[in-house]
Amino acid sequence: MFEELREIREAAMRELEKITSSEELAELSTSVLGRGGKLTAILRTMGKLSAEERAEMGKRANAVKQELAEKFEERKAALAEIAERVKIEKESIDVTLPGKRRAVPMGALNPLTLVYREIRDALVGLGFTTFEGPEVEYDEYNFTLLNLPPNHPARDMQDTFYVNDKVLLRTHTSPCEARALKTLDLPFRLVIPGRCFRVDEPDASHSPVFMQMEGLVVDRNVSLADLKGTIDSFVKAVFGENIESRLRPSYFPFTEPSAEVDISCTICGGKGCSSCKGTGWMEIMGCGITNPHEIENCGKSPDEWRAFAWGVGVDRVVCLKYGISDIRLIYEGDGRFLSQFK
Amino acid sequence: MKLPLKWLKEYVDFTVTPEEFSERMLLRGFEVAEIIPEMDGIDGVYVCEITAIEPHPNADKLRVCMVDVGRAEPLQIVTNAVNVKVGDQVPVALDNATLTGGLVIHPTKMRGVASAGMFCGNEELGITNVEYPGCENGGVMVFAEPHPNGQRIQEALDLDDCIFDIELTPNRPDCQSIIGICREAAAALGKPFSEPVPEVVTGYGDCRDVAQVTVENPYLCPRYCARVVTDLKIEPSPLWMQRKLRAVGMRPINNIVDITNLVLVEYGHPMHAFDLACVAENHIVVRNAKQDEVVYTLDGKERVMSSDMLLIADPVKGVGVAGVMGGLNSEITPETKATLFESAVFRPENIRSTARKLRHVTDSAARFIKGVEPVNAELALNRAIELVEELHAGRVMGGMIDVCSADLMEKEVDASVSHINEILNTNLSSGKMVELLGSINIPAEAVCDTLRIKVPHFRTDIEKGIETDWDIAEEVGRLYGYTNIAPTLMRGDTFRGRVGESFRDEDRIKDTMAALGCLELYNYNFISPAELDSLMLEEDDERRKTVRLMNPFGEDQSLMRTELAGGLLRAAALNLNRKTGFGRFFEVGNVHFDNADLPEERKLLGVIHFGQDEDFFTLKGTLEELFEKLGLEDVRFEKGGSPYLHPTQKAVITVSGEKLGEIGAVHPKVRRAFEVSAEAYIAELDFAALRRHIARQKKYKPLPKYPAVQRDLALIVDDGMEAQQVIDVIASAKARVLVENVRVFDVYRPKLPGDKGIPFGKKSMAFTFQLRSDDHTLTDEEIGQAVNAILKSLKFRLGAELRA
Repeated sequence: MFEELREIREAAMRELEKITSSEELAELSTSVLGRGGKLTAILRTMGKLSAEERAEMGKRANAVKQELAEKFEERKAALAEIAERVKIEKESIDVTLPGKRRAVPMGALNPLTLVYREIRDALVGLGFTTFEGPEVEYDEYNFTLLNLPPNHPARDMQDTFYVNDKVLLRTHTSPCEARALKTLDLPFRLVIPGRCFRVDEPDASHSPVFMQMEGLVVDRNVSLADLKGTIDSFVKAVFGENIESRLRPSYFPFTEPSAEVDISCTICGGKGCSSCKGTGWMEIMGCGITNPHEIENCGKSPDEWRAFAWGVGVDRVVCLKYGISDIRLIYEGDGRFLSQFK
Repeated sequence: MKLPLKWLKEYVDFTVTPEEFSERMLLRGFEVAEIIPEMDGIDGVYVCEITAIEPHPNADKLRVCMVDVGRAEPLQIVTNAVNVKVGDQVPVALDNATLTGGLVIHPTKMRGVASAGMFCGNEELGITNVEYPGCENGGVMVFAEPHPNGQRIQEALDLDDCIFDIELTPNRPDCQSIIGICREAAAALGKPFSEPVPEVVTGYGDCRDVAQVTVENPYLCPRYCARVVTDLKIEPSPLWMQRKLRAVGMRPINNIVDITNLVLVEYGHPMHAFDLACVAENHIVVRNAKQDEVVYTLDGKERVMSSDMLLIADPVKGVGVAGVMGGLNSEITPETKATLFESAVFRPENIRSTARKLRHVTDSAARFIKGVEPVNAELALNRAIELVEELHAGRVMGGMIDVCSADLMEKEVDASVSHINEILNTNLSSGKMVELLGSINIPAEAVCDTLRIKVPHFRTDIEKGIETDWDIAEEVGRLYGYTNIAPTLMRGDTFRGRVGESFRDEDRIKDTMAALGCLELYNYNFISPAELDSLMLEEDDERRKTVRLMNPFGEDQSLMRTELAGGLLRAAALNLNRKTGFGRFFEVGNVHFDNADLPEERKLLGVIHFGQDEDFFTLKGTLEELFEKLGLEDVRFEKGGSPYLHPTQKAVITVSGEKLGEIGAVHPKVRRAFEVSAEAYIAELDFAALRRHIARQKKYKPLPKYPAVQRDLALIVDDGMEAQQVIDVIASAKARVLVENVRVFDVYRPKLPGDKGIPFGKKSMAFTFQLRSDDHTLTDEEIGQAVNAILKSLKFRLGAELRA
């Protein structure tokens, strides 16, 4: 009987060597250790043995049973490991296939919004606060209070859409200067974005509707040098640290001294190219020390308060920044254009 | 303003390159828009000498010439010109030469014979007998005097300078004259400029004895100066004068007219010469025109005047439109024997309005509009008379008629040195400021902190008043150079900068819309009246209360928009036509409604979805996600909305009972009107209302301690029942436990009556919801009671039955 037990063990060990799948293993386990298995069968015949032999046989059979169970378990784990490896191998994917997305592609903000926010945020960092005013404005605010009385020749500089004799579509964001000077406590620093309108037939560089951003600083001690410094810092914030700015004399009725702001050409970096007509500079906006008449017209004392201001065309900055040659694209609404600004 | 370099050189020693000069002018506030070569567009043309002429073997009308262009080898030129002979020096255009009209010359073969270029006539070179007498010979131009062979044509003709086209700012009308701009140019070049003072010709007799001037409206004509010249000899003006006029683009006419034009260019002051014989009683009357009074101007056109226009007349008729153009009836002709030169000052705004009404802004009018001044009027007249004398054009009469109400006194102003330094943040001494002002002939002297300035007559822009310091700061800063002022950051109080709430809300809303797949539009604010019809708006619709522009581009852009829908639909049509593949757009923009005062301005959010993947509910989903992001609560969609929306697929959106906007499919008729080829869905929301309901302060809700149970109910309800009605009943039923997250998850409308046991006129709707308590785990009994209460309420209030 001991011999039979030994054979069962050895047969089971031999079988185990050949096993390649967990199914075969389960079958073997059942055929040896299961209820109708060989080991169980042999134990059932133990009744014929003497008590002494029976004890010895039981001990040995249990040892074999335990040993086989352990071997089977080991084998099972090894098989599972192999099976998992095979499965993992089978799960191999092409990582270069496209990702799965939501059905609707990402939207995008208009580049006007992007650039407006950049300028605004650069100025907020310098202590500026947002301010706004109406698009349809009184002639008085758009012109007269800003030192442009009726029949002033400089009114011809800005072709105006009129609603009636007293009301017009604002030609710049500057009427908000008058509104702020009249209503807010001084001193202040304001950034004023908004749509403006001029009688310009649309072409590659003109749009009858455009977006301007006004900057206005009113304080006791501001100077042309402060204006230069402020403009230079936001030019660098928007266009990059390597972009230079310069002021050159110009004329606006609402500022004196007045200046145009040039920035070093964003295309050639200032060496001179066709975009900057070889000068290395590009004009981006007008600015100046606020005309004392404007401050006085708005009920404040030019002896006490000095101000500076500028008005930058956001559209123009968009075109320069992104290399857009036709301003109409911004307003046209072609998805292929708009989706480039995600 | 065109400034020929030759002209500049007459006044100033020019020692830099044209490019350097332009840069210096730019940094002083005068932008040179263009440097135009004197022979604009001409290049690659040289002097050559014809050394041999042979007949052309294949053409009778062509000849084959050998020419010397100063190179080692002679060149062969085929020509059809008959006026050239061996030994002639002529201009030849060689390879890649450019001629007038953009003509480019290349070597070619003419009837089988090679030609290295082309001989040029005056027209190809853009010149006339004025630039080179005798060049207008109908054939090839032949040089009258010897030139080195191979010399550039520009050098040979002494047309090698350039013309600066300078942009002027409106505050500097004095620079719309050669003298004015040369004054600035001299300073830019660091050279002195001596003001030319015309010699006052004494003349014979006194013109005040033969002619008189009456100014009836001195406000519109503050000064009228006149002098008389008799015994005129009308003839072409000398070549030097004609050349000057042509250089600035003016056409020479005759000596008297050319004199007035030259003075206009030199002094910037428009003048006019009348044929005195045609002025009745030799009496000029400056008066307002009679309404509908007719004057024929020099260009032969009939001008119908109105009573606000200023007329130059004699006692019986008009002889000119003041400041705009002289009359045909008093024009200088070859027979004119005596002339009256007018040099007057007219009110800019009046000339502006007259020129605009007559739709004719002449050179003269343009200068009057920019502003002329009374001292210069007299200088210009003196200069004209000086030229008459120089040209021996006639006998000058003595005296000057001068009707003047203008103040001719020299202005004196004071400016504060320290204030100017404060404005500029400079530290310039008073002496330096005096020197800078002196460089443009503004005399000043420093007395302690004060600059005492004698304002020259030509600087009308420098005023006495509160802005004097700023006026002078501008001049000092400009002349010192803005680039020499070091930038600083602002000193003084510090400020807490911030983005205002309305701006932050707009950022958030736009960011969310973009995250939801929408592209941002900026549509123009102008719409056509037809758009409102296309949108099928009722006659009494508020959106018909439009703001109308007085001067639109055209009727189709004559109104300010009152809705965003039209612009959204146009964007849809454009993207569908171009097959861009994009179907979601939004815009945040203002609309305007007519009002007694300023129009009412309202900001709207407009959203459009279109294309095959979109429907009412995809757009509604977009809005729901936006509302969720903003924390809006109690948002409801109720059937209804504007006529441009699909009658059975539109809803009014409210939040806490306030109307927020509308959503719907676009009415098929409207889609056709806007040529939108796919189904489209639009929502328009009031931006202010949206902002009012944004959850400003998000509050944390404690997590539930006890589990919720989920229950589903399938109900049979009337076919017209809206999900919201059922949800409201479920949520408000007296269930004695918390009922939360009520949602509809299935709707089934039977395809045939009785289909799946659903009776005729009914449909099945399935809802899911959660039951919960804050203080214990619900028992089965409580759950059963709650569901029963809900069912009872549904049956009682809506007649809804549990589906079997």
